[in-house]
Amino acid sequence: MSLDPRTTLAQQDEPPRPAAPGKKWVKSVRVQNGIDTEVWEEVDIDSGASGPSWGARKDLRLLNHDLPRVDAPDKVTGRAVYTHDVRVPGMAFAQVLRCPHPWAKIVRIDLEPAKKLPGVLGAVVLESEEVKWVGRPVVAVAADTPEHAEDGVRAVVVEYEVQRFAITPAQSQAPDAPKIAGNRDNVRVHETEGELADAEKALAECDAVVEGTWRVPVQHHACLETHGVVVDYRGGDSATVYASTQGTFTINSDAARKLKLKGSQVVAVVEHMGGGFGGKFGMGLEGDAACKLSLELKRPVHMLFDRASEFLAAGNRAGGVHVLKAGAKKSGELHAFIANVERHGGVGGGSNQKQPYIYRPATSHTQVKSVLTNTDSSRAMRAPGHPQMSFAMEGLMDDLAYAIGMDPLEFRIRNVPDNRRTDYERQLRQCAELIGWNSHPHRTAPNRSNDELKVGIGFALSTWGGGGGPECKVEVRLLPDGSVEVLSGTQDLGTGTRTYVAAIVAEELGLELNQVTARIGRSSYGAANASGGSTTTASLAPAVKHAAWNARKALFQHVGTLLGVKPENLRIAGGRIEDSTNPESNWIGFKDACAAVGGQGISAQGEWQRELASNGVGGAQAAKVQVDTLTGEIQVLHMVGVQDCGLVMNRIATRSQLNGGMIQALSYGLFEERVVDPDLGIVLNANFEDYKIAGCKEIGLMQPVLDDGDERNGVIGMSEPAVVPGQSAIANAIMNACGARLREMPLTCDKLLMALRGAKRG
Amino acid sequence: MSDPQSTPGAQGAERNVFSRRSLFRGAGAFAAGGLVADAARAAATPTSTRLAGVVELELEINGAKQKVSVEPRTTLLNALRNHCTPPLTGAKVVCDRGSCGACTVHLDGQPVYSCMTLAADAVGRKVTTVEGLAKEGELTEVQRALCEHDGSMCGFCTPGFVMSITACLERKPGATLDEIKHACAGNLCRCGTYPHVFEAALAAGRALRAKGGK
Repeated sequence: MSLDPRTTLAQQDEPPRPAAPGKKWVKSVRVQNGIDTEVWEEVDIDSGASGPSWGARKDLRLLNHDLPRVDAPDKVTGRAVYTHDVRVPGMAFAQVLRCPHPWAKIVRIDLEPAKKLPGVLGAVVLESEEVKWVGRPVVAVAADTPEHAEDGVRAVVVEYEVQRFAITPAQSQAPDAPKIAGNRDNVRVHETEGELADAEKALAECDAVVEGTWRVPVQHHACLETHGVVVDYRGGDSATVYASTQGTFTINSDAARKLKLKGSQVVAVVEHMGGGFGGKFGMGLEGDAACKLSLELKRPVHMLFDRASEFLAAGNRAGGVHVLKAGAKKSGELHAFIANVERHGGVGGGSNQKQPYIYRPATSHTQVKSVLTNTDSSRAMRAPGHPQMSFAMEGLMDDLAYAIGMDPLEFRIRNVPDNRRTDYERQLRQCAELIGWNSHPHRTAPNRSNDELKVGIGFALSTWGGGGGPECKVEVRLLPDGSVEVLSGTQDLGTGTRTYVAAIVAEELGLELNQVTARIGRSSYGAANASGGSTTTASLAPAVKHAAWNARKALFQHVGTLLGVKPENLRIAGGRIEDSTNPESNWIGFKDACAAVGGQGISAQGEWQRELASNGVGGAQAAKVQVDTLTGEIQVLHMVGVQDCGLVMNRIATRSQLNGGMIQALSYGLFEERVVDPDLGIVLNANFEDYKIAGCKEIGLMQPVLDDGDERNGVIGMSEPAVVPGQSAIANAIMNACGARLREMPLTCDKLLMALRGAKRG
Repeated sequence: MSDPQSTPGAQGAERNVFSRRSLFRGAGAFAAGGLVADAARAAATPTSTRLAGVVELELEINGAKQKVSVEPRTTLLNALRNHCTPPLTGAKVVCDRGSCGACTVHLDGQPVYSCMTLAADAVGRKVTTVEGLAKEGELTEVQRALCEHDGSMCGFCTPGFVMSITACLERKPGATLDEIKHACAGNLCRCGTYPHVFEAALAAGRALRAKGGK
């Protein structure tokens, strides 16, 4: 997802062909699956030469500072309108009936009992043939109230013919297992890299060899705002679709097709949205349901999943099994590596898990396969594949370091890719300093004392691309009354997009943050990319800067004439535009300048500027954990995250995201797991009581640090790497505390007690 | 979301109607003390056999009386969001069964899960929602501190946290970090804003004490 589709030429020393007229080749770094690749890109020769620049960091007034979010007052007062909160006249509330079977043919559907109920306005069939996972919506019912919609859902009659099914990967790999995807085998080998014989030979040359099987459960996105839309269609030739989505522009054309309208006749609106984490792109089944109902009823339909549907039918992070065997030399070299990776993505492919993650063994062999089961498909979830890969690989790295009696921190630094060693070393050493590693007594072997309460420290790394692309079109308007607007169709997932969009314009025009209004989240504004792969900021911020820069240039043209000054001699600061050669006497206030422009003021457009973005981010995290060896209780006392991301737009919002990444990783590591009954196929914890996410009392001290050692002056996204290493650092801290290696998440007390018994016996 | 006793069709049920759901909801709303007893009383002496229909209730919300037409089973949360004019959508539907706190409102000053409180049970009590805190548009100290300390990301949990922290600091402006965590233990956030929420709550406590609170 982080890859720019235009980059297809990997790892070549020379450009593939001579540059076209006016073009030149540049080398840039891309990261995919934790492996960074240098690619050649053909760019304009004069691009950026006379364009906008962020300027020196020390000169920034707003950007790279702590900025209060412009929409925070709306959020703390309840004024912020999310898709759930949209209320339009005549709106019906809808809910879905979910299939209770893991695999069933649908024999008969009777909607009439539902349609006869008071308040029920209509019902539509979403699936009439076959369902292959529990929770798949089959029917949707609309009514005047949510309560009546629930009544209607209960009244619908569906007869199923239940088929044989396979819930666990073991069941679906049995010789007589039913084939889930037509004639295709339930197991698909994706790729094999490196020769097994070479890796085995290298293994024999090692001073220490360790191996293990790491297991990661299926995790849910668990967005607080469930998936859903409000389709405001009342017949006629236009519609507005409010959506809780990560991509404004993933909604309008899709909805238009379903409503039998033209793309230009549908406007998608995403004013505020309650969390996505990778799971909210496009209309989805909930969107289909709303469109069908709205089309039939010719009235607006509010179709937001209830919590059970959110757990059952809105995707998840793929589970997996990583069987690793590796060897190191006493020198600290990761010398040989063999991995067998199994992806568990339900009826889907299971996201990008492979190995080795980040670290570079001298010799390696990896085989990756995916195993289909009759469970809901995985979807993209914040850094798809990375947390799973990290959990196994970072555990293996610690085990190897201890096996050769080396500090795991030094072992990591020794084995990261050469071109990233400086950054990772800086980040790891800062983590070590802040978490207290340097004075920790157990740095080269776990603490094997008989104490009951024991404290350990662990580390892990992350990597991501986070670069941008040219999708965004931004408009900046300077209105005659001096007000400033910036418009883009982009969406704010809670990352602070709206705020930095305003801040970039305010910075360029010498204004305060509250003097600029950011209008976003509407497909009638300029195009914007969907928020996937941490690509939003690196795509959007340069286009906003370009639009603001163009607006300033246009304003300078007018003011130059007015003041009799060459536009290049003008400067803007503190709400006034002045002649830089005679600033005291020859100036005009910003508002007066806008008024003097006349007409409708200035409208300036902006597009992506390659020079204002960068890509390739990394970070290190450390966890300090206390374990109770008597009860198995695991308590995270302290986590530190050091994250680079080029030029920071809003420091406090970026720290919030880093906190959020660490907390989600802690939650993934300690609590989260979708539990499915292997015989019945029923999901046993499709609610917030039984599917636990971290709450106030479980998080310990969180210390987010933005790595100012990263001096790149381009913008890069950083949401994804923040969530990658936390659970791995926690598992490593447990190992460091007591010598128990937990290889299966969630890391619970029963597993710790079992592992401690094993550790003692071993 | 099972509701086995709801039988749509009847019109105009009286007050004090009772269903299994109200017992279930009452029993779960531990924060709202008297509800369990009320529900048990109602079970012992049903005054009506009507289990469904529409009832007219007068609620006092954010200091103003408002008539709403709801079913006996309608939760306070759904009454606020779907039956008030204008709709009060600050309290959020997230779990709809008392496990996340996003629907938190105050009933007579006490924080309760409005998804676990029947609208009918709010009659005669003062309901305060997140929309009712800022008087004449001026943010409260809690709201202001949440803005300053970046206490919301996606913001969907924020109204619930605002209500829990407000109630906590009204009881005790000098609440410690642990007391604040305890007061918010029933509120879930998926973005992971907790650390900044705690910082904001502590700062709001300081501001309230400076203004002369306890």
